[in-house]
Formats: sequence, C-alpha cells, structure tokens
Amino acid sequence: MMAEADDRLVRALAKTAQGDRQAFASLYQQSSQAIFGMCLHLLRDKDEASDVLQETYIQVWHHAGEYHADRGSVMTWMMSIGRYRCLDALRRRRCDVQVDTVIHEPPSEDSGPMENAHDQVDRQRLSDCLKGLDERYRSSIEMAYFRGFTHQELAVAMGQPLGTTKSWIRRGLDVLRRCLGS
Amino acid sequence: MKPDDYERNHALAAEYVVGTLQGMARQRFERWMMHSARLRRQVWYWERRLQPFNESLPEASPPRGAWQAIEQRLFADSTTRVSAAGWWQSLAAWRWSTGIAMLAVFALLIWTPSPTVVTRYVGVVQSPQAEPLWVVNASADHRLMVKSLPQVQPAAAGRDYELWLLPESGAPVSLTVLPTGDTQLQIQLTDQQVRELLQSRSLAISLEPAGGSPTGQPTGPVVYQTRLIQM
Repeated sequence: MMAEADDRLVRALAKTAQGDRQAFASLYQQSSQAIFGMCLHLLRDKDEASDVLQETYIQVWHHAGEYHADRGSVMTWMMSIGRYRCLDALRRRRCDVQVDTVIHEPPSEDSGPMENAHDQVDRQRLSDCLKGLDERYRSSIEMAYFRGFTHQELAVAMGQPLGTTKSWIRRGLDVLRRCLGS
Repeated sequence: MKPDDYERNHALAAEYVVGTLQGMARQRFERWMMHSARLRRQVWYWERRLQPFNESLPEASPPRGAWQAIEQRLFADSTTRVSAAGWWQSLAAWRWSTGIAMLAVFALLIWTPSPTVVTRYVGVVQSPQAEPLWVVNASADHRLMVKSLPQVQPAAAGRDYELWLLPESGAPVSLTVLPTGDTQLQIQLTDQQVRELLQSRSLAISLEPAGGSPTGQPTGPVVYQTRLIQM
C-alpha cells in the first residue's frame, strides 16, 4: 500500500516538474493533509499554518525537478520543505513572543507523538532507538523537533543550564545516529 | 571540508534538521550546504531518518482557500481569476525578495498598541545575517516607537547605539539613543522631523560614546540602516 502511494506521488511529482498543473493538483490532494497537520502541530495557528502550506507548495512547484531518491521519499522531501518553512515562521514569531509564554510550555511528560507510530520499519527503528535513549536526551530531541524549541527555550523549559541541554541534544543525536546506522 | 570534520558535520546536520541550529550558525550552515554535496547528504540522512516523526503527527485538512491561493499565486497570469489579487501579488513577490515586509506586518500586528486609521510606517533594522534587531514604528501623529528585540546585544562598554533620521538633503538628525535587550521606547517627533522622515524614510544607527554623540552629529561608524515601509 505504502509503495503504491509512494509511486503515485513520484509520478505526480515528475509530471509537476514538467509543468503539468493537473498532476500538481493531484500531488496537493495526496499530500496536503499530512503537511498541514505537521504545520499546525508546530505552529499552533491555523492561518500561519495555511500560509506556510502555500509557501511549501509554491516551492514544490518551482523545485519539483530537483527531487531525487537520495532525498528520501517524495513525502520526506516535501515535509522537509514544509518543516523548514515552519521553523522560519517560528523564528520570526520568536522575535516578539514573550519569554513567559515559552516558560509555561510544560515539558512533555507523555512519551510524545512517537507512541502513535505504526509498525512500519523506519518508524520501528526510530522508535526502538528512541526507547534506548536516556530519557533526558529523548525529551530534549522531541521537544526541539515537535515544538521547534531553541537551545535557550529548552534550557528554560527543562530548568537546566544552557550548556546542559545543548549537550543533551548533541549526545542524544550522536547516540541516535549510532543506533540508526546508515 | 576536512575528513576529520565528518563527525562534527554530522552533528551540525542533525541539529539543522532538528531545528536547534539557529541564527547565524544556521545561515552559515545553509550557505555551506550549497557548496558541499557531502554535507547535503548528511542533512538528507537526518531528514530521512527523522521522517517517521513527521508521519506520526495527526493529519489535518487545510482550509478550503489554501489551494486556490496557491493557484492564484502561481498561475494568476494564466487564469481569469485575477480580480483583486494585483497588489497582493506584487507584495508577495517583494516579500520574497526582501523578507522584510512579512516581518514588518507581523511585528505590526502583534506589537502595535492600538489599531487606528493613522498612517503607519514600519522599518525593521536587521543584522547583516538578516536577523531582526529593532522594529521602528512611526505614525503620522508624531509618535516614533522603537522596539528592541531580545537578541540585540548591548554595545561595547562605554558605547551606545544612536538612531538618526537621514533627510533627503542636509545633515543627519539625532532621534534617540537606542535601547538594547527586550525593551521599547517612544519618542515624540517635531513637525519638521515628521516631514523629513516621510520624505526620506531613511534611518541609520551609529555607534557613539555612552549617552549619545557629544557633537550632535554622528561621530562613530554607521552600523545599520533601514527604510520605513508604509503600512
């Protein structure tokens, strides 16, 4: 099923790269809910998420021909584009956000959205590797990834010195890479 | 890239994808990625590996207008549905080229104290790395507000930043010594200053002795400049 969906996306993207607007519409139809869901989760603001979604697809239209398999699946490629746009939006917003609103963001006590992951191989591998991680490392990585927290915000949220959370992230990612392999 | 940098770059690539690589370091990294295929592959590694994070998030239906807006922005020329999109299209294009307008609109939306019909002008003073430092908000009722963003570092000991109005002709006019840190101040402009500001819309910031220039004219280097945009 997944392979079929991936194939459909690859075909739609290839045609999009040739300027086929129908294929582009089909690409949007197949992928926009996942991308919008991700943006909404990161930005917590429907209007801003919609804006980022639009920017994402505009970039997809202009750069469709640059996709290749080394980037991962078509969804990986498109969601990465969307994710960086979300991070940019968070950064712009951060300039004016009161620090208090960040401080009161509770550290994630549940196990994070990964618990909802299905048993797909990639997911399973990441999930297994995260389980093996020191709790502090895992929480830091998840808070940064799912909330877009900066090092500074992580330090505030976790009540730790900046150097400590920086090193948790660094060590956590290092351990994760060794577990995930190439 | 030196071979012994491989591990360090992997760590940077990971933090780039996770999002904790920020500010100047992030921009440096993005420039560096353009030159290094290996670095790009390291980033792709992390994008692929962490994609299950993205897939684990709940999907959500985008607003109905989103697709129409995308079509409008991409294909407005070739469709008949152009109607009132003209000015917005040009604004959007300009926004992409400068990155400032969005920021200005955003700053205006969340910072402007009260919505009024008074014409407003907004300028964002940015670092060379495009990091916003000060937001300047001027209105035709003579008020000039300057908000210093948290990332503004104080000037060196014994120095202050000073804001200057650059008239179309004539010498710079001192407006205020600028705050640093997460603060804002408001000053009242004279009639002449408002006129000159509306004509030139140009501001500059110089580095001066503490308390501001002793001569009434810039004595130190001009470190930043910005232009006001009418909102």
